[in-house]
Amino acid sequence: MNAVEIKDLYKSYEDGKIKALNGVNLTIADGEFVSIIGPSGSGKSTLLNMLGALDIPDSGSITVAGQDLSKSKKLNEFRAKKIGFIFQLHNLIPNISVRENIEIPMYTQKMSSAEMKDRALKLLDDVGLRDKADILPNKLSGGERQRVAIARALANNPSIILADEPTGSLDSKTSSKILKLLIDLHEDKNVTLIIVTHDMDVAKLADRVVEVLDGEVISAGDDSLINSKIDV
Amino acid sequence: MSFLKFILKNPFRRKNSAVLAIVGIAIGIIVIVALGGITDGLVNTFEDTIHAGGADFSISGKETGDSAYGTNTIDANWTDKIANVSGVEEAYPIYVVLTSVGDDFMNTLIGIDPNGTTLADISMKEGRIFEDNESEVILGEIYADDNNYSVGDSIKIDGEDFEVVGIFETGDQNTAGAVFTSISKVGDLMNDEDSISNIYVKVEKGEDPQAVADRIDELYGDDIATITSVMEMQQMGDMLNMLKASTWAISLLAIVVGGLGIINTMLMSVFERTREIGVLKAVGWSNKKILTMIVGESLVITIVSAIIGSLIGFLACTLLGPQIGITPLFTPKIFIQAFAIAIIVGVIGGLYPAIKAVKLPPTEALRYE
Repeated sequence: MNAVEIKDLYKSYEDGKIKALNGVNLTIADGEFVSIIGPSGSGKSTLLNMLGALDIPDSGSITVAGQDLSKSKKLNEFRAKKIGFIFQLHNLIPNISVRENIEIPMYTQKMSSAEMKDRALKLLDDVGLRDKADILPNKLSGGERQRVAIARALANNPSIILADEPTGSLDSKTSSKILKLLIDLHEDKNVTLIIVTHDMDVAKLADRVVEVLDGEVISAGDDSLINSKIDV
Repeated sequence: MSFLKFILKNPFRRKNSAVLAIVGIAIGIIVIVALGGITDGLVNTFEDTIHAGGADFSISGKETGDSAYGTNTIDANWTDKIANVSGVEEAYPIYVVLTSVGDDFMNTLIGIDPNGTTLADISMKEGRIFEDNESEVILGEIYADDNNYSVGDSIKIDGEDFEVVGIFETGDQNTAGAVFTSISKVGDLMNDEDSISNIYVKVEKGEDPQAVADRIDELYGDDIATITSVMEMQQMGDMLNMLKASTWAISLLAIVVGGLGIINTMLMSVFERTREIGVLKAVGWSNKKILTMIVGESLVITIVSAIIGSLIGFLACTLLGPQIGITPLFTPKIFIQAFAIAIIVGVIGGLYPAIKAVKLPPTEALRYE
């Protein structure tokens, strides 16, 4: 089964003046690790927003985790159950503890406070931050905060993780650790991992690199095209 | 962490802003509680004074004016005439004189039938009611306290010895400083058994006091036109209505000011947390949950304000009121009203920012810097 099936997807802004997606076709298999690259304004973030049901297409079809997002109305329920987001900036809530931040997505599920706490602590074990559970995010380093964000993305056992420049604000050493953690979790939990990045070193870690330019997928996995067409 | 705990924590993220909002709304609540307590206190005092206990109104001589205890007299046979008017259940005469009492050169001595004391709004604190035509008196508690009299003591009135047989209490400060004896005894002292000062009237159950008063006025208005209690009640009623209207106007102003304050605070909060709201949407929070969170945060601020405002309003009025001669009366209604206003302000103040937050497209909110 495919995690993502996109056919002739179009999306424009400002009354059609800006064509963000211009007939995208893409298929991603379940459990696959795919990176999406492209220059600024190429449409890769719009594509990621469509995959995460944060935006709806003008036309075409997009099926993610078996759900047709162009027809679905309860997109928030879909996001809560199927998608885990990781952003370039960790976007943690500053006045609640690390553990409580991980519990935030769990409010969408029918879980007791005790169940939420247990699950959050288990996830903190997975990202190696169990001992930091009760402190506030501002006491953590940048890399630790991003690890908390990864744990938060996994809170509801999503089938797909969408990461938008997850190492964009980290130094190279910390970036490597975060990527290793992401890849390990993707393999351990058999989660489909889709990363949007500018960084070719990051992109190359994926099973497949999807190249986006001017709102179109110009390569869905041929590395040779990446180096020839796009200056990332 | 429960959702409720999350809502309770959020408003105090920006402490200064939350404190300012709480102070703004608490001032409104203080005004509402304090004015409510003062108004109810005044209503209570006026009703105690005017109603003269069980009496619905009192009658005095035309020339006496509106005084409840006029010292001008009318003929004693007016009592029977008034008692026979349709709708009147009881009519008891009183004879008020100013004479030497104890060490006082002049004090108020009130003569009343021993059976009519219930209409005078007095209740016995110690001892018993005086007997008819006996040299016995009962003293108001203020008079007894000020002059160190107790039951069993002897007191000289207009040169004659009287026994203190009881001490009474009353809500009316004037009456509490007076001395009561039987009306026949006052007639003896004054050598005038055919005069009285006022008549206390109680109407039959189900009768409208105003209608009975109008009836009396129609029959005998040329001679005893002054029906003091009803008129004063109307005047004071008008004054109290004005006071109540002012209380409501000030409360409304407090609601508007508090409402604007909370809208401003919550709008700032939503504005500063735009990215965070984007994240909440990204992780699947429904619009309803985000709306509940923001309105809940607004309610936390206004309810804390209501608690602080009610406490300060209550304490300030209780401590300062008596010093300016006001005894405030705090009924549960005042606090229910204050909390209801706080909740309304909280919901209205939080709703607009919450709707703004809900309408934010998640992609835009996540891009916000």
